Amino acid sequence: MREKDKLVGTPVSRIDGILKVTGKADYSVDHPIKNAAYAILFKSTIAAGTITNIDSAEAEKSPGVLAVITHKNAPKLNVKGGIRGGAMLQSPAIEFYGQNIGIVVADTFEQARHAAHLIKVDYDKKTPKADFDKLASEAKPPKDNHDEKWGDAKAALGTASYTVEETYSTPIEHHHPMEPHAAIAEWTGNQVTLYSSAQIVNGAQNAAAATLNLSPENVRIVSPYIGGGFGSKGGQWANLVLTAVAAKVANRPVKLALTRNQMVNSVGLRQQNFQKVSLAATKEGKLTALAHEITTHCAIDTEFVEPCGDCSKIMYDTPNALITYKVVPMNVILPTYTRGPGKSTGSFALESAVDELAYKLKMDPIVFRIKNEPAKDPSNGKPWSSRKAVECLQAGAKAFGWDKRKMEPRQNQDGDYLIGYGVAAGTYPAHQRPSSAIVKLNREGSTVTAIVELAAADLGTGTYTILAQTAADALDLPIKNVTVHIGDSDLPPAAGSVGSVGATSYANVVNDACIKLTDELIAKSGKQYYARPTASQLMVSEKIPTHQTRVDSKPLASAEEYSAHSFNANFAEVRVNKLTGMVRVSRFLAVTGAGKILNPKTARSQIIGGNVWGIGMALTEESVLDPRWGNFVTRSLADYHVPSNLDIGDLDAIFIREEDTLANKMGIKGIGEVGIVGVAAAVANAVFNATGKRVRELPITPDKLL
Amino acid sequence: MRPFKYTSATDISSAVKGLAGKPNAKFLAGGTNLLDLMKEDVERPDELIDINRLPLTNIKTITIGTNQGGLSIGGLGKNTDAANHPLVRQQYPLLTQAILAGASGQIRNMATNGGNLLQRTRCPYFYEVSMPCNKREPGTGCSALQGVNRLHAIFGWSEKCVAVYPSDMSIALAALDAVVTVRNASGQERAIPFADFHRLPGDTPEKETSLNPGELITAIELPKNNFANHSYYLKVRDRASYAFALISVAAALELNGNKISKARIAMGGVAHKPWRVLKAEQLLVGKEATEANFRLAATAGMADARPLEHNKFKVELGNRSIVLALQQALNGSKS
Repeated sequence: MREKDKLVGTPVSRIDGILKVTGKADYSVDHPIKNAAYAILFKSTIAAGTITNIDSAEAEKSPGVLAVITHKNAPKLNVKGGIRGGAMLQSPAIEFYGQNIGIVVADTFEQARHAAHLIKVDYDKKTPKADFDKLASEAKPPKDNHDEKWGDAKAALGTASYTVEETYSTPIEHHHPMEPHAAIAEWTGNQVTLYSSAQIVNGAQNAAAATLNLSPENVRIVSPYIGGGFGSKGGQWANLVLTAVAAKVANRPVKLALTRNQMVNSVGLRQQNFQKVSLAATKEGKLTALAHEITTHCAIDTEFVEPCGDCSKIMYDTPNALITYKVVPMNVILPTYTRGPGKSTGSFALESAVDELAYKLKMDPIVFRIKNEPAKDPSNGKPWSSRKAVECLQAGAKAFGWDKRKMEPRQNQDGDYLIGYGVAAGTYPAHQRPSSAIVKLNREGSTVTAIVELAAADLGTGTYTILAQTAADALDLPIKNVTVHIGDSDLPPAAGSVGSVGATSYANVVNDACIKLTDELIAKSGKQYYARPTASQLMVSEKIPTHQTRVDSKPLASAEEYSAHSFNANFAEVRVNKLTGMVRVSRFLAVTGAGKILNPKTARSQIIGGNVWGIGMALTEESVLDPRWGNFVTRSLADYHVPSNLDIGDLDAIFIREEDTLANKMGIKGIGEVGIVGVAAAVANAVFNATGKRVRELPITPDKLL
Repeated sequence: MRPFKYTSATDISSAVKGLAGKPNAKFLAGGTNLLDLMKEDVERPDELIDINRLPLTNIKTITIGTNQGGLSIGGLGKNTDAANHPLVRQQYPLLTQAILAGASGQIRNMATNGGNLLQRTRCPYFYEVSMPCNKREPGTGCSALQGVNRLHAIFGWSEKCVAVYPSDMSIALAALDAVVTVRNASGQERAIPFADFHRLPGDTPEKETSLNPGELITAIELPKNNFANHSYYLKVRDRASYAFALISVAAALELNGNKISKARIAMGGVAHKPWRVLKAEQLLVGKEATEANFRLAATAGMADARPLEHNKFKVELGNRSIVLALQQALNGSKS
């Protein structure tokens, strides 16, 4: 195939787009299952204590009700089977507000919801631990400790001529994907099929099987489309197995969808963090110390700590570094992976502090960053597989018009508006994970078609499309002749769409399978070729009706010798109303070096989508707990403010050309996570440049700028 | 949502008669608030009388007493239609701005003018049925008083309730001295001045308006005025669209040269009802329209504010917002 005809690297429109915009793509509970009953969860109205009684008599007599399941009659589950967050009706203990305490199953959704209102619950109530401001001082190092130290940061800070020591606060956030967590369970004997949304298809299969005390072969996950997940559908939560429980008890297929309000205490959250960042530099702007001390909270009985110090480990060259974590248990649902876990929040602290230090040095923050660019990974001494951080900053500065920035705040005004520019860098690790795939070829006359099969996940990001592009190129077929089957645990096992490993792992294994298949066809022909023929040519020339192969791919053994990461630079222009404090991001540019970009169209969508969440993180998004009772007062999308269209100005994404076959054979680094990293800091830095006010507590709502 | 009886009325008389003597029945208009509250189990009517087919959607020129050339806006007209009607846009641009500052396009297409007036508070404790709330369950206490109250009242609250009234449209209507016409089961009509339509919480926060049981809002009447060239609705909020006001200000000026002959200022996001800032209005009449005078007026208007633990910023923000809204009104800003 001629290079210019290749599809990889071109902006192919997503092949599942028409299905989605015409409503023909079946998401979890859309699947047409005959005779399905409807279940609804009901939840605790205290955050700590014990259920002393549940009176469900009236609910059970309510029309259409098939079953009411509580800890009193729920089947015994294996709570250590890999389902996150507990709340599986195994005990009367209450550990957070809105914990699942029962299921109502009825013929219709309305009957189930009505009956749930008729249930009376008595509690022995305890005072919850829900006030992070007060509990933070009790935080202790986590059991799974990721502290890092080289040199002596504290000593270097004590003697430096320029220092910044500030604490940055980020609130609880929720993922709130458009599609709430939902599932259909259908049993056949001791086998259950779960139509669900899973970012890790095999992970969901294994967790559901272990929890339900089944072998994995007896659990099938069907998850062809996912309406967003952002980490909340990476691990699986109680709703998945409770749907199976409801279907078993009711002896019917059951559909169970969470309500938007239930999403706040069912499927994890991004935890609140206090991050103290201390930087020291010489007067020439050479960084001499970096300390990043993180305090956060976790669930009452299970630890999860976002790695907020990860960016600090690798962004800048410093002889002295200290990264520490402390965590305090609280009566809230288990925190979990949330887009750019640790890096998005950690970069807000680090990149704000870098901006503050650059101001103290009276130095352009881009110049400061370039001065402190590390030649190798400062945390482990490994060479970079590739690193385009400086190129991102330079290309971005040019494209954005950074030279128009006035360093002193409040110098750029337009009527009632103060205008500011901000920059911040970001990074996310690049990894390939083991995956398997089957590629099948069929020929009718001279027409060859391919089917690609693996248990991959498409979060809505374009997995179907990039795999069709990859296979079409590798097999020499038009893209319309390639069918991609993913999102089903009956297919060969694959990595998850998590941690920016999806595209890398899936595209590499599909490419490997296509190469292997071509090798097999060459061998089958028994001929010698001057130029390597393509699979589609061989199918026709050798008149092969059908051929298929499977491959199991692993990361390159040599990849471990390198430090492989995506890098970016984020540029924000904000307009701040100087009277009301309302901030609008009028322009945002993300420049990313992330290896091979398989599809610039879907990649751009990924990056600007991450940017929008980052802008939300900076300006609008916050889940607020009432510390007295542990409930979220931000109950819905009317209270939890994701950015509206009007909040977002012009967005643009630039990719830096980067060839990196050290990280993996295809040179892919992944872009799902990095798009949000550094965004909030760029906006906050722009707000400082506009107003002269440094806001270290997100989100930057109007009251903080008065 | 609990089971309820649904009926549909085709004429006004049968609608109001249908509701008579049924304390747990409610009219269903756009449903954008009521149905949400029913799904949340906050509202539990046993009967809904759908009034969407009643002929109460007209917008027409009227005479109110000796005031000729006012406008009557049908109680069941849609918010979108009211905002975009040429007569409203020309004569009451403040109302257009306020309506368009609220909710989303989809919600405004469903929501009715009368229903907008009857929106209930978005206080999260009102929605969370497991929590005390005097408005939802009189006598249980106010959870917000000592709770998370960043969005709550700074004027006119009581120990029983610190919730704020959410409508944007009503803030403009308060500034424009609207009159609400209602009809009861006997067919009697009465006119309620807008200032008297909504109530402060006092000891009965569950009673939010001066509507009597069974009364139907038939129209909202606007007297003719000379504010069209100098009015502005300012809404400060946590995001640019689809968020309730931290503070909103409806400001309108009638000018004689640069001298203020009439001033109207109403605020949203600060009280249990649209908050007319009469002290500020009185201070402005007869004065030059200058920033200095706007500042004096704003300071006077905010002097009685009693903020709660988390909303102290509303005092300063309210002060600034009054000044900014008056300046925009003076400049004849339209949006």
